[in-house]
Amino acid sequence: MLDRRLIENWDWILLLLLLLLAAISIVNLYSATYQIRNMGGSQIFVKQIYWYLLGFSVFLIMTTFNYYKLLQFAYPVYFASVALLILVLLIGKTTSGSQRWLDFGPISIQPSEFVKISIVLVLAKFFGEGDRYHEYGWLDLLAPLFLIGLPAFLILKQPDLGTTLHLTAAALSILIFVRLNWKSVAILAVPVICMSPLVWFVLKDYQKARILIFLNPDMDPLGAGYHINQSKIAIGSGQFWGKGFLHGTQTRLQFLPEQHTDFAFSVLAEEWGFLGSIILLVLYLFLVLWGLNIAKAAKNRFGSLLAVGIVSIAFWQIVTNVAMVTGLLPVVGIPLVLFSYGGSSIVAIMASMGLLMNISMRRFMFSDGAGLPEK
Amino acid sequence: MKVDDKKWIRFRIYLVAIFFLLCLAAVLARAYQLQVLKKDDLISIAKQDYIGTRKLPCKRGTIFDCKGRELAVSVEVASVFAHPRQIDDKKSTAEQLALMLSLNKTRILNKLNGKSPFVWIARKIPPDRANQIRAVNLKGVGITSEIKRFYPEKESGAQLIGFVGQDNEGLEGIEKKYDHFLSGPQCSLVQFRDALGRAFSMAESMPSDREMYDIILTVDKDIQFIAQQSLRTAVDDAHALGGTCVVVNPKTGEILAMAVIPEFNPNVYGKYDPTYWKNRAVTDCFEPGSTMKAFLMASCLEGKAVTPETNFDCEMGKYVIGGRTVHDTKKHGVMDVKEIVMVSSNIGAVKMGLKLGYKNYYDYLKKFGFGSIIGTDFMGEVGGFVRPAANTRPIDQANLFFGQGMSCTSLQLAMAMAAIANDGKLMRPYVVKAVVDKSGRTIQETEPKVITTVLSPETARKATEILECVVSGKGTASRASIAGFHAAGKTGTSQKVDPNTKSYSRSKYYATFVGFAPSYNPRLVILVTVDEPKGIHYGGLIAAPVFREVGQWALNYLRVNPEITVAEDSAEPQKNNQDKAHVVEVKADDNETEGALPDFKGLGIRQVLINGRSLGLNVLVDGTGLAIDQNPKPGACLKDISTVTVNFRPPI
Repeated sequence: MLDRRLIENWDWILLLLLLLLAAISIVNLYSATYQIRNMGGSQIFVKQIYWYLLGFSVFLIMTTFNYYKLLQFAYPVYFASVALLILVLLIGKTTSGSQRWLDFGPISIQPSEFVKISIVLVLAKFFGEGDRYHEYGWLDLLAPLFLIGLPAFLILKQPDLGTTLHLTAAALSILIFVRLNWKSVAILAVPVICMSPLVWFVLKDYQKARILIFLNPDMDPLGAGYHINQSKIAIGSGQFWGKGFLHGTQTRLQFLPEQHTDFAFSVLAEEWGFLGSIILLVLYLFLVLWGLNIAKAAKNRFGSLLAVGIVSIAFWQIVTNVAMVTGLLPVVGIPLVLFSYGGSSIVAIMASMGLLMNISMRRFMFSDGAGLPEK
Repeated sequence: MKVDDKKWIRFRIYLVAIFFLLCLAAVLARAYQLQVLKKDDLISIAKQDYIGTRKLPCKRGTIFDCKGRELAVSVEVASVFAHPRQIDDKKSTAEQLALMLSLNKTRILNKLNGKSPFVWIARKIPPDRANQIRAVNLKGVGITSEIKRFYPEKESGAQLIGFVGQDNEGLEGIEKKYDHFLSGPQCSLVQFRDALGRAFSMAESMPSDREMYDIILTVDKDIQFIAQQSLRTAVDDAHALGGTCVVVNPKTGEILAMAVIPEFNPNVYGKYDPTYWKNRAVTDCFEPGSTMKAFLMASCLEGKAVTPETNFDCEMGKYVIGGRTVHDTKKHGVMDVKEIVMVSSNIGAVKMGLKLGYKNYYDYLKKFGFGSIIGTDFMGEVGGFVRPAANTRPIDQANLFFGQGMSCTSLQLAMAMAAIANDGKLMRPYVVKAVVDKSGRTIQETEPKVITTVLSPETARKATEILECVVSGKGTASRASIAGFHAAGKTGTSQKVDPNTKSYSRSKYYATFVGFAPSYNPRLVILVTVDEPKGIHYGGLIAAPVFREVGQWALNYLRVNPEITVAEDSAEPQKNNQDKAHVVEVKADDNETEGALPDFKGLGIRQVLINGRSLGLNVLVDGTGLAIDQNPKPGACLKDISTVTVNFRPPI
């Protein structure tokens, strides 16, 4: 439990980064929903504050126990979250053509956000517990690939291509920290790479359209290319110093789509300019590097891998989202971590940040765990 | 071993850190590219699309005639627009609008069902109708007041003044040429609209700080009206395609009137074929034909090639030059220069021209302004064509001497004649007299400008004498004579080139007259052309009467004292009796019986002239002031009188 030593090792930098990001997010959301405040927009802004309060509570809870104990719970948590995904496909709420939500009266949750942590957890267990000099061949990799593939497939069925890709990228990032038999990896990777063009044929029409639009944004500026063009215009018109808080015309006039969720960064970029973009991105950079530092300092492999996985989740989300809203990547529905509006996303990421804090706090602990045997 | 493992993990972490760093740097670079490098493009896109200015027709300055009377004014009207996406029940909205505006219901519904987030339902309707709609307060339907351009003179001078488009931008004529002065502060409607086209602020934007100016033209509304009317009548009577009538002040180059038929009403310009909008007096060229003999004669006199008394053998109507035969309409023997011009002999003209030399004549024509653009106030003015000496055959040269094989505009011909009238000085023609701001301060004023001196005053006087004979009873333009004044001028009847056969048509003519009055100290140069008159096609018969009608009226209007010595000019008084009195209404005294000569005593010169002419009389004026005596005496039978002499004395 929390003894004096743990409090001394409390990671103030991580907490500070999170508080700053939360503050910026809330201020930005206030502006993004300012125009629609009469139509329930103010609720969005206030709701985000509540979500953050809840998020920080979860964050604190996540620091109260030794993360090493999670080894025991990795599989139950994992299968519970997969069960939720199946539940989504069965009784989930359908919005805008995809079934991603579980409806609980006043609030709805998006299980795919929580699945990300559980995958990282289960992979950290899988690779962290094993013989650290073991070289994993392709047969050894089948099990973890199944662990990644099952939820990925379920999320793809919702359909939510963005989250699927994000989840896969974050999970595969963990493999970098595992000794792999590269020949085995090649056996797995080559066929996948060769087959990848065939993916085109299983994509849905709107997904194909997004890729085509990405390649040629001016193809259909009012149709499929609308989002990305509007976003680029908003960002670009912010210039270096920005238009000022609440003065972003594209935001205020709602030319910018999804401005409180996926395109929240564009709102910031329009109103605070390149300066604002730099500040936010540098904060994220600090967060990611700090997370890697925690991974480096972790006492055991499980902790390192868990930290790396958590950082990967955040990192891929940041890069994909910002690249998407600036037109570097096709439009995929990925919110900006800690920044966009979204209860599930905030709570899930704050939970994982809590774990990161947990790992950081226990970096000076002697053993790999409180009495848990190491294999 | 454990240390190895730590190192291994650390190495991986550094790798990943570098990779993350690169990715974030790439994203940052992209932000830099968008926000710093490409910002101008993106800002402009943002502005045009999203700050969403819908330009309102801006206010415009007034165009006045030379006496300060309005020719083009801006009046306020209302326009109805709709934001289709805000309308819930489009069908009923369309029905109600159709009912109130008496428009087609399906048409409105189509507009509402279109993709555009903003549509005009009806533009520039009377304000009272707009109020009716405002009272009903339909959702998604709005009303804005707009400025509409109104041309009180309608057809009169329409091509010269031009007109403006739906957004009050100058499209033709002075409206376009002086758009930068006339167009006022730009206002915009629906400055703020959102992505769905919902206007959430209907405020008009701050007008731009562009200043708006009024323009004063040299045109006189009344002279323009009479020129337009006379020309219209002449063109209608001759069943012609069209015509032009240009009235110029020869001493300054001010255009007093520029009438073009076919005409159009600029208030509803859209209902006319765009060819009607052209100011043909400056945009269209024609072969001037015999009118050029006036300039040939003047050039020959100035070049000292001939004197008015030099004789030429006119070969009894047939003369072979360069393998071609030149014909005259009548057979003439030996004639002097004066007679050649009077009867418009082609053979005489060729012989005069040969004596001057083609090259010299060409140079004079250039000096007269032919072959180049001379005005600056006109839209689409062209310069015409004169063949340089280098590439001519003898027959081409001969043709040019009587006005064939070259082209010019009505304006050029009028200005060249004005040069003769103005002691040989060619003036720059202009329409805009002054540009004034709203406080009445003159911003820009056009001063009369001499382009070049073509003739010596002496030559100009001699040429005028000869041209005066053309208008005399014996000349080709006796119908151009203006009672009470000496007039000078030259007729022209040119064959048009048939576009099919590429040779001169035998049935299509261009009838021209260009002249000035009074001959000495001239006030007006009047040019008249009639395009393809049917039947009689001679310039002297078709165009000259317009000259007389316009000249007579305008001289009177300008209060030019008639030259009393013109008594002998009344060789054809019966013709004067047929003259219609237009515009000026006669107020005959109640106690006067029909058909009796009224008493002019006590009236001013102007009133006497108006009254006298309205009775079909030649009024000869002697002295100045008020009428004291007249001959014949009051009460004489009008049928017996053609001329009345009135004596005036200044009141003591």
